[in-house]
Order: sequence, then C-alpha cells, then structure tokens
Amino acid sequence: MKIQSKQLNKNKFYALSILKKLPLITVVFLFLSIPLDADNQINQYGGQIVLATTSDPRSFNPILAKETSTTAITGIIFEGLTRTNGETLEIEPNLAKSWEVKQDGLNWVFHLRDDVFWTNGKKFTADDVIFTFNELIYNPNIPNSSRDIFTIEGKEFKLKKIDDYTVEFILPVKFAPFLRGMSQEILPKHILEKSVRENKFSFTWGTDTLPKDIIGTGPYKLKLYQPGERIVLERNPKYWRKSKEGNRLPYIERIIYLIVQNQDTDLLKFQDGEVDYYGLRGSDYPLLKPKEKSNNFTIYDTGASFGSNFLVFNQNTSINPKTKKTYADKNKLSWFLNKDFRRAIAHAIDKEKIVEILMNGLGYEQDSAMSPSSGYFYNPSVSKYEYDLDNARQILKNAGFFDRDKDGIIEDKNGNKIEFNLYTNSGSTERIQIAGIIRKDLQSLGMKVNFMALEFNNLVSKLTATFDWDAIIIGLTGGIEPHFGKNVWDSSGQLHMWYPKQDKPATEWEKRVDEIFNQGVQELNEKKRKLLYDEWQVIISDELPVIYTVLPASIFAVRNKFENLKPTPYGGAFHNLEEIYIKEKFKK
Amino acid sequence: MINYILRRILIAMPLLLVMSLVTFLAINLAPGNFFDSLRLDPQFSEETIKHYESLYHLDKPVIAQYFYWLKNLLKLDFGYSFFYNCPVKKIIAGRLLNTLLLSVVSLFFTWIIAIPLGIIAAVNRNKFVDRFFSLISFVGLSIPGFFFALLLLYFASQTGILPLGGMRSANFDSLSFFGRIFDIAKHIIIPTIVISASAFAGLQRIMRGSLLDVLRQQYILTARAKGLPENKVIYFHALRNAINPLITVFGYEFSGLLSGAALTEIICSWPGLGSLLLAAVRAQDIYLVMASMLMGGILLLAGNLVSDVLLAWVDPRIRYD
Repeated sequence: MKIQSKQLNKNKFYALSILKKLPLITVVFLFLSIPLDADNQINQYGGQIVLATTSDPRSFNPILAKETSTTAITGIIFEGLTRTNGETLEIEPNLAKSWEVKQDGLNWVFHLRDDVFWTNGKKFTADDVIFTFNELIYNPNIPNSSRDIFTIEGKEFKLKKIDDYTVEFILPVKFAPFLRGMSQEILPKHILEKSVRENKFSFTWGTDTLPKDIIGTGPYKLKLYQPGERIVLERNPKYWRKSKEGNRLPYIERIIYLIVQNQDTDLLKFQDGEVDYYGLRGSDYPLLKPKEKSNNFTIYDTGASFGSNFLVFNQNTSINPKTKKTYADKNKLSWFLNKDFRRAIAHAIDKEKIVEILMNGLGYEQDSAMSPSSGYFYNPSVSKYEYDLDNARQILKNAGFFDRDKDGIIEDKNGNKIEFNLYTNSGSTERIQIAGIIRKDLQSLGMKVNFMALEFNNLVSKLTATFDWDAIIIGLTGGIEPHFGKNVWDSSGQLHMWYPKQDKPATEWEKRVDEIFNQGVQELNEKKRKLLYDEWQVIISDELPVIYTVLPASIFAVRNKFENLKPTPYGGAFHNLEEIYIKEKFKK
Repeated sequence: MINYILRRILIAMPLLLVMSLVTFLAINLAPGNFFDSLRLDPQFSEETIKHYESLYHLDKPVIAQYFYWLKNLLKLDFGYSFFYNCPVKKIIAGRLLNTLLLSVVSLFFTWIIAIPLGIIAAVNRNKFVDRFFSLISFVGLSIPGFFFALLLLYFASQTGILPLGGMRSANFDSLSFFGRIFDIAKHIIIPTIVISASAFAGLQRIMRGSLLDVLRQQYILTARAKGLPENKVIYFHALRNAINPLITVFGYEFSGLLSGAALTEIICSWPGLGSLLLAAVRAQDIYLVMASMLMGGILLLAGNLVSDVLLAWVDPRIRYD
C-alpha cells in the first residue's frame, strides 16, 4: 500500500503494466531452440515488447526501491522464494520449490531450487537467502522498508542454513502473511558482500551502475539504461523456469521501456503503433474504442483497480504541546467527530456522477475498504450510502445542523457556521475534479467548503506532522493482503490519518479494529482470518473514518501481437510475462 | 582587456556564493523534505525515514546543510541525488549533452534564419515582404510554445512523417552509424521548430529595428552620396553598426542554453535537463536543484561576460580599461 502521489494510474505498480511496442524492427530472430513437442511446431521464441513509462527508474536495487517506476523493473530482474499468481492470487513456489511449516506456524523450512543460476553463471544457494535477510534487510545501517514488514513486535526472523538448498525461518510470533512476504527479492551474496562490508550498500546499484553489473535470477536482465530515454531488458538464457512442454522460458527476446514525459505522449505513441500497451484513463476510452480494429489492438476491462480515493476528516483530539490547543479548530472537531455529520456527507457523495464525469462510466463505486478485485478478503456486505441529498439534510437536521438564520449556511447547536477547508494534492486532476463535485453537493447542503489543491509534500506534512487540516481527499494504493495496511488502520499507526499515532485507541471501534489487526496477523486459519477482516470492513463502513468515493476500472489496451495473454486486474496484462510469446508475423 | 576579464571573474565568485545561499534557503522554505513522500507509505516506519534523513544530513539545521554542501563543492562533489540514487554529477552529465545538442541546434537555426530575414525586412521596409515577415514574427511570438509543440506532435501523429517525441527510436541500437545520426536528426526537428519559432521572431524584430536605426544615420547617406553600391552600403557599413544589440541578446541567450528549452523538452519527451529539474524541484531533491541553479548562474554570468567582450571586439568605440 502506498499513497498515490499522481493520479489514479491504474495498475502501474504491478510488475509490467506499461507496455508498448515498436513497429518494424529490422532484426530477425532465428529459432534459438526448437520445441520438444512434436505437434507444436510453432517457434515461440523471439520478438520484443515495447512499453512506455512516465518516469525513470530511481535505482536498480530492490532493497532500496521505493516507488513503482523502480519496482516495475527490479520485479523482472529479481525473484523471491514465493510469488503471487496474477490470476488466482494464490501463493506459488518460485525460487523455493516447496516448503513445510512446523510448530504452530513458527518454523518454516524452504527447499530451494538447485537449478537456479545468477546471470553471471554462479549458482543460487541458501547463502544468498541468508545474506539478503541477515546482512541487507536486518542491517541497521541500511534503511529499507522490508525491515519494517519483517520485524514483528520489534523482533526479527531468525534464519538457519540446513544445507546448501534448505533454509529454515524461525519466527518470533505467528505471522499469517509470511508466505506472501516471502516474495521479497533475493540478492546475490558474492556480488554485494563487499559493498556491505564497506558500508556502501545504500549507494550500490543506483541508476549509474553499468547494466552488466546488475545480477539477478529473473527471466530478464538489464541490457541498457539511457536516462530519460529507455530501458532495455534482455532475455536471460539461463532462466530456470520451463513451460509445460519443457521449453526454456521466457519466449520474448527483449523488453523495451520507453520513458515518456507524460501520458498524452504515451497515448500518441500507442496509437502510432510504437508501443504495445497503454493503460487507459476513462477519458481515453471513447477515443481508442473505435480504433480497435483499424489499429489492431484490444481493450481489456478487467474490473476495479486497487487505487482508492477517499475523503477524510480530521478527528485528532490530541493537544498541540506548543499552542496548548487542539491541532484543528475545536468547533470543527466537534462536527467531524460527530458520526451523523460524516454519515450525512457520505450520503452527499454522488459516486455515480463521479464515475460518469471523470471516467466515462469506467469506474466502480467503492464502499468497502478493500477493492472488489482483491479476492478472498473483500467483503461486499458493508454499509452503503446512496446519494440522497434530502436524506443527508434530514440526518444533519436531526443532529442539530440546520440553517437557523436563513442565510443559506447551516449552523451547529452553538450557532457556528459550518465552514471548513478541503485539500487535495495538485498533482492529481482526478482528485481535483472529485473535490469539485463533492464540494458542490456539500454547498447545496448548506456547508461552506473552501477548496485548495496543495503540492504533494505540503499535503503530506499536514497529514503527518502539523495536523492543521480539516478535510482532505487522498488515496491509497491497495493490495490483496489486508495486514499490509495496518499502518493505516491501527490506532497507533502514522497513517491512521484522521488521528495518527494514538497512545491508546480513542474510541471503542478503533480499539476493536486494533484487536482485529493483532489477531488477524496471527491467525493461520484462512476462514477465521477472513471473518476478522470482514468485521473490520463493516466497522469502517459504519464508522466512516474515511469516506470512500470511486475506484477507476483497470482497463488497458494491448496490441494484438501476443499469444497466451491472461489479463487480470491484479497482475495487469503481462503478469505471466515469461509464458507470453509473439505471433510470428510481428517478430520482424 | 585581460585585467577586465579577471576582475569580472573575481566579482562573479561572491555573486555565485550569495546566489547559491539564497537558492538553498528558498528550497528549504518549502514544507517538508524529499523523504516526506515516504511518510505516507504504510510500509515505511518512522525510524526508517529518520535513518534516511540522517544518511543525507537532512536532520541538521539548514545552514549547516548549506556549509556541508559548500565544503563538498570545493572538492567538486555536487552531492548525491536521493531521487535517482546516484551522484548528481553523473545524472547531469548524462543529460547535459542532450540539452546542449538541442539548444545549439535551435540557436543555430534561429540566428541563421532571423538575421537574413531581419535584414530583408529592414531593407524592404513597409513593403509586402516586410509585412509578411512581421506577420510570421507576431504569430511566432504570440503562440505559446507548449501549444505549438502539441500541435506539431498532433501533426506528426496524423501524418506519420516525424517521430512523436523522444530523441532516439526504440531500434536505435540496431542502426548503422549514419542511420543513428539520421534517427536523431528526425527526432530533433519538432523541438527545434518550437524553440526557434519564438526566439526567431524576437531576434528578427531586433535585427530589423536596429538596422533601420542605422540606415537613418548620416554616414549612410554620405556613403550613398559617394555612390557606393547599395549592397555595399548595407552589408559593409550599416550591418556592422547594427550588430551591437544582437550581441547583447546573444549573451543573454547563452545563459538560457541549459534551461531555455525546458518546457519544450518536457512536452517533446526530450531527455534533457528540463524534465529532470522539474521532477527534482517537485520532489525536493535539493542537491540536484542546487547543481542546476549553479550551472544556470555560471552560464548567465559567463554569457554576460562573453557578450561584453564581444562588444568591445566588434565595436572599437567600446573600451573597458
């Protein structure tokens, strides 16, 4: 989970979403190998995918990687012990071929593959796994977010090498998302040992590294990086994975990422046939749909995406030690703390209109804290608030908010006029538009809403440091594992935006949510675990600490040159990258 | 003259120092720092972020950070970019050539077109040619660069003649040497037209105006009265005297070599400094911003110096000693 600084850009952060192609490349690839299967005489090897991305990678070091433009690349070069299947969302073996769990889920033994090579020819062994955890992730001199995930109640995992291809993890307490977390990329010990010893790891594998020095085990290796222009990844001929027919994967020879400065250039290049993939904004749909046939591409609508947008009110009742007052105005706080006030506002959000205007109908109303695409843990049976201004007015009136002096603006019981500031980040035109629609409806309820779009960092410092805000529209990128959002939902979390870092839960329901997250992370029974997270989603929808708006559809266009494409909302178009191959006539 | 140049360079030093200090303070006036964006990521703990801050000395007072930067600068170390995880020097070096290529090419075309057209317009004052060039100039001056760039990109996408932004095609590596030159040349056309369009317009007007001024002088009348052929009067006597304002403009444009094309670069996806610095400013990648400000400042001072020296060289009436 991560706050989205820009826009609702679909599934950009999943390994490979920004794809494009180049028209006629002159290089001809002859068969690198011939399928063993007698009745399968098609040569699947060769060709290239051309994708576009709007920002440069910031590093090639997966431990230091902080943003999606980086992880999109490192996710192809490196691999973890497990991985999430893009289609079924199940955890499947990757560098580990199998595992077993002992003693109440505290001891996990992984059996590693013995046929994996680093791209420089050295063998991958248990030493690399132990090095990655003990000397990189848990190294106090290397700041990284993986450590925060793999430190439970202040305690680290212990790793034990049983033999060259067997590793045991000893957990301090039970940790339900453990296997999913094991998709953590493993790095080569023999290459990085030296830089760790010299305490230079934080500056290793930055964007100035020579491509041949980046050593991974993944299906592709870095061939070239030209800042601001393109990244070229080349097929790893020693990649271990084989297809069902016994063909060595991957099929596609090369992946090219073009770095473009904005999404409109991306769109033009896609229409021009230069790139193979384009992640659509709702507004692009009417433009692209009629061209599907003539430009030889297909638009896939895979369902709701993961990036939420919500309205949150400041409910921070703690006292600012400097001013000896609350951070937000005391009167305003009393409104925002009032559940009826928040309920009335939830009824005043015209989600249908937002989907219609912003996304050309290609969006989904969001009621639950998890995205409908997140599969198992998504609970659709939560409280919903349909758009009904009369109902909203009635709720406000019953709660004591109505227009007493007939000037068009409602007042609270003490006669204070309802007026507050609404912020969002200026980088997101979608959020600015959402704010516009919401503001108009709130004004017709008689509230005075002053809207301002702030620079992202400014907004962040308000949310996490100065707390001087009333209402904010912001979003989070979601995922399929609810526990990874703990920092948002736990009352002591710094991202518990409406009242961060509480010493003890301010309300009963926040106390219950804390319990749910503490139990959920230790519950190894999937069914019981789901019940807990179902309850959490119901609580959030009842208490409305955040008021959800809409989720954009995960919708993208792909040139018709690939076989074996299985697009999903979680994995995007190319989650099964190594199995995809290019039709013969598009290889040249 | 040497004395004069040395004196100017000496004066430039404290100027640059003050400039860098003001820039540094101004960047730090903005709320937060680079690592603030991580604060909204549930997977980063506060300790991790503090750790990052201390790694790059962001936890020290602003003025201490400045002196720290200054100290490294004396060792020609421009600092480390948090955004790109790479020394600032290396990032800038990678982009600098691209920006210079674009700037020099467009500067070249601007001058090679604007000067003759300015002369023609001045000589044919108020005739059709002059009016026609004026029209073009006014259009060039008034059309916003970003809009013009988008128009041209749209044109390119409709006709398919020119590539849509960028500097090289995706198949660049498989091209021959001349194929590569041709490929870059194709990519540079649109940004060059955009930059030249507005720069050309101003320059053409200045050339015209300044030549007209000179043509009214009595020594031109004298030259004509002596029976000199008209082109000798114009190209030999008038033009030399009309060139002074252009040299001043040249010095000014020199300072814009690295930053003047920023907007066009961003729209045309040209991998230059423009987009790099925009991203750096927005993300508060301070050392990268500082390095670019420093370069811009040095170029501005150097540009002024060069134009002053050139003026003295072209016009014997100007003396600095």
